[in-house]
Formats: sequence, structure tokens, C-alpha cells
Amino acid sequence: MKHAVELEELRKTFVVKTGKGLKRENKEVVAVDSISLKVEEGQSVAFVGPNGAGKSTTIKMLTGILTPSAGSARVLGYVPWKERSKLTRSIGAVFGQRSQLWYHLPPRDTFELLGRIYNIDRKRFAERRDQLIERFAMNEYLDTQVRKLSLGQRMRAEVAASLLHFPRVLFLDEPTIGLDVIARQELRDLIREWNQEEGLTVFLTSHDAGDIESVAKRVIIINHGQLVLDDSVSKVKRHYLGSKLLSVKFRAEPTPFSIDGVELVKSSYHAMKLEVDTDKVEIDTVIKEILKAAPVADITIENPPLESVIAHIYSQPKESVQSSDV
Amino acid sequence: MFNSSWTKYLWIAWTSAKSNTAYLGEVGSRVIFLGVILYIFLRLWQVTYSETGASELGGLSLAQMLWYLAVTESIILSGPRVSQTVDQDVRTGQLAVHLIKPLSYPLYCLGNCLGERSVRFVLNLSVGLLMVTCFVGPIHITLQSVLFLLLALPLAFILDFLANFLIGLGAFWLEDTTGLMLIYSRITMVLGGMLIPIELFPDYMQPYLKALPFASIVYGPARMFVAPDPAQMTGLLANQLMGILVFSIFVYAVYRVAAGRIFANGG
Repeated sequence: MKHAVELEELRKTFVVKTGKGLKRENKEVVAVDSISLKVEEGQSVAFVGPNGAGKSTTIKMLTGILTPSAGSARVLGYVPWKERSKLTRSIGAVFGQRSQLWYHLPPRDTFELLGRIYNIDRKRFAERRDQLIERFAMNEYLDTQVRKLSLGQRMRAEVAASLLHFPRVLFLDEPTIGLDVIARQELRDLIREWNQEEGLTVFLTSHDAGDIESVAKRVIIINHGQLVLDDSVSKVKRHYLGSKLLSVKFRAEPTPFSIDGVELVKSSYHAMKLEVDTDKVEIDTVIKEILKAAPVADITIENPPLESVIAHIYSQPKESVQSSDV
Repeated sequence: MFNSSWTKYLWIAWTSAKSNTAYLGEVGSRVIFLGVILYIFLRLWQVTYSETGASELGGLSLAQMLWYLAVTESIILSGPRVSQTVDQDVRTGQLAVHLIKPLSYPLYCLGNCLGERSVRFVLNLSVGLLMVTCFVGPIHITLQSVLFLLLALPLAFILDFLANFLIGLGAFWLEDTTGLMLIYSRITMVLGGMLIPIELFPDYMQPYLKALPFASIVYGPARMFVAPDPAQMTGLLANQLMGILVFSIFVYAVYRVAAGRIFANGG
């Protein structure tokens, strides 16, 4: 399998000035600390981390905007910061907080301009544009000025614009930021479809666990510039925390019970939510105790939401986090 | 006609021009300002000409002086906020959006600037000339005048762009480039001959002022429009081309160093 993205001990440091007046000092800040990873062509990867973890810096090195302090990287065989002009024709990028659309013009004009910038054959461009308009359901607002579009419509146009030149890798930096639930889901569906049907490699950063679950198969978590976890999304959800959430509804007042490894998350009249540490106690043991406490009307067992898993991982020291090849 | 690498910058200029037709409200407000300025200077020059009893000052009649003023004001008022845009692109990280495309960022900004400025200049000049025609009547405009203006103006705009772009690049090193931008714009207005043609400055200053790039941006094109002179035009073109060459070298060198300093943090 060919690799779309390869990083080898990639490192980036910045010098920042601290202090005031004559006491100003230069301080070296490590933004990305020797990250190594490989992403296969056609894979969808979520690149996750708290603010300041080094996600955007990594993306900017992979798109050729920044030059690393050490290490190497290749995107589609190109060294991004040395061969940026060649690489730009094969990659697309959407920065959620920065627009590439012309604000006072309709999306159609930006598409036309992008066709010229990427020097796409006119016939091929027209076919691709029409395909994107149809798939992204943009017909009704294609000729409306961008400033008059809703954020959801604008983001769909942003993603479509980034796909015009047939990129093989798409970098998405917080593409759903600020979108409502429906617009967010629509955009996730479109990105996933494009990944699955067109074989587009997707490299996504987001703070939204929903984006990661919907779009990505693999999750890479970085913190303080270091890679702390690299695993499949389903494995992370299933195994990483080693805990389950049990929601129970009783038919009568339950008799109080206490089990080592079980924590009461919340309780109300005849109902309770428990978090079970499966490293300390088996689920069936807990269920037996619950059944003894009172007759049960309903019981559900869930994995903790990915958001909690990620928050938990952020709070762990690096040594305690497992990493595996995907 | 053009190879593809140049065509895309022409398309950027065209798209920018289209985009700026959306600013007709802003253009309207500038036109009102232009009208007020032209009226004030009409009264000032009327007094000056009658007090001195001269039919010409600096080789220009009253009517030519007002037409000159309409052109210089149109040039100055049509100037896009290049340095502020570059400054913002650098500080906010918007630069990243341009750098991931097969584009040269300075040429992208040049195309954007020329498209925007063309629309503004044509609107300003149309209204300005209409006003001065109402105030002082027409002057003798020849085909040579128009040709000289059409030749000198794009070069003036490119030169002005390069200077503004350089100031904008200052954002890579400075906390704030507003001060530099203000100094540059005021010097262009005063030493560039926006209000007073260079001929009315003291004799010893004139050769220096004419050789400076400010005069090549404002005074030169306006003077060649109202009082064309082939010998002066040759000198103007030589100055403009030299200015563009020198500033291009500076832009190239500074941008190369600046590109290595891109931080682009915060998404």
C-alpha cells in the first residue's frame, strides 16, 4: 500500500520573546516534538489534540507552509516545504476559520478563478464543477454572494472549492467549527462519501468528537507536540478507557449497594447511571448486584463518549498511553 | 496570448475588479469627498491665480491645474489597502490559504490590487473630470495625453503596490505597520505632487522630487495627461521602470526572508 503522508521524527521549534522592555529574552518553544507516522492513500485520519498541541503546525508543515526544524516528511512523495508548488496541485485544504471564497462574489466566481489558478482543462473543469455542484447540493445558491450564505452553505462551498482540482489528499482544519447540528452532519457525510467513493485521503483536525467518529477510521492524538496515541477510532472507543456506562431504571426503590470499581455518575428517583471500571470488576458481577438491589425495568450498557475518552487521554502523562500500529 | 502562469494573475485582477463593483456605496462616499476637495481647491487656485495675475502657474492654466488635481486625487483615492491586507494576512494566518495554491503570493496581491484599483480609479476619474468640467470647462486633451496616461498609470500603480507590499511585509518583524503606512501615504501625497505640481516647489528641490518614486506615482501620470511632453514622458517611464526594478528586488529579497519566518499559529 502506498503512503500518502509520511513523517519521520518531524520537529518544529519557534523562538518567542518573553518579558518586557530590556528584560526581553528569547525562549525556544517546541510546537511539534519528533512525530513519526504514516498514512496510507485513501485513509481517513483524525488528527486530534488540545489547543496548542501542535496540530496546525504539523498541517502547515505537511502543506509546505512551514519548514520543520528537524526530521523529514513526504506528502504524495514530495517534500512539502521544498516542492510546495508541485505539491499544491495534488492537495486541497480547508481551514475552518479562514475562507478561500471571495466574500462579495458568488461561489461560481471563486470556482472559475480556481479553475484558472490550477490551470484545469476547461472541459474537465466544467465536468468537475457540475459534479461538485450536484453532490454538494449547491445549485440553489451557486450564484448568491458568499456574504449572503449561511455558514453551513459557505462551508459546503469551501470544501467543494478545495476538491475542484482533483486533490488526492485533503487537509481539513476544524471544518465544522461553528456549524449547527444538521449542517455539521451534512458536511461530515459529504467528506466521508468523498473519502470512501473517490479514494480521497482525508487528514482531519477537529475538537469535535462527532467529526472524528463520523469521518475518520483512525485517530492520532498529539499533546505538547508529541504523539500520544495512534489507533483505530473503534478500538479507542472500545478499549482505551476500559470503562462502561450503565444506565438502570428500577421498578422499585433499590437497596443501596457498593462495589469496588463502580462509581455513581448520577441518580434520580428509581434510576441511576454508573461508570464501571472493567479492569477492576466484571460487568456481569455489577449486573448481578443491580438485579439484587431491586427489580429492573430497563438497563443499557454504553461505551463512554469519544469526547470523554479524548479528554481522559489529554490528561494522561505520555508514558501511560498505549500506541499501536493501524 | 499569455502563458498560463500569467493568465491566472489576470484572472485574479479580473475577479478582484468584479468583486469591487460590490463596493459602490463606498465609492459613492469617496466621490463626495473628491467633490468637496476639488471645490475647495478650485476656490484656492482661483484666488492664487487672480492674486498673482498669472495665466499659468508651473506651466499650467487654472483649468489644467484643476484637471491635474482631479487625476492626482483619483490616483490617491483609488489606492487599495495593500499594506494593511498583507499585515492582516501575516498576523491572522490567512496567508496559509494563499500559500497552499500554485500561486506567488506577491503576484496574487499585485493582481488583486490592480483589479481593485482599476475599478476605483475609473469611477473616481469619471466623477472627478465631470466635476472639473462643470467648474472650469474642458481642456485640450489629445490622443497623446490619453496614451501617456494609459502607459504611465499601470506602472505607477505597480510601483505604489510594491512600496505598500514592502510595508505590509514589515508585519513579520514589527508589532504594527500602521505608522510606516501613514508616513508613506503622507509623503506620497506631499512629495508626490498630489496637491501642488512639482514645478511649484523650490527650484533646487524639483530635480530630486522628480527623481523620487513618489512623483512617478502621482505627479508624472497626471502631468502627462494635462500637459503631455514626450521628453518628460521618456524620463518618467525610465524612472518608473527603474523604481519597479529596485522595489521588485527589495520585495523579492524581503519576501524570501519573511517566508522563512512564517509562524501562522492558532489554526
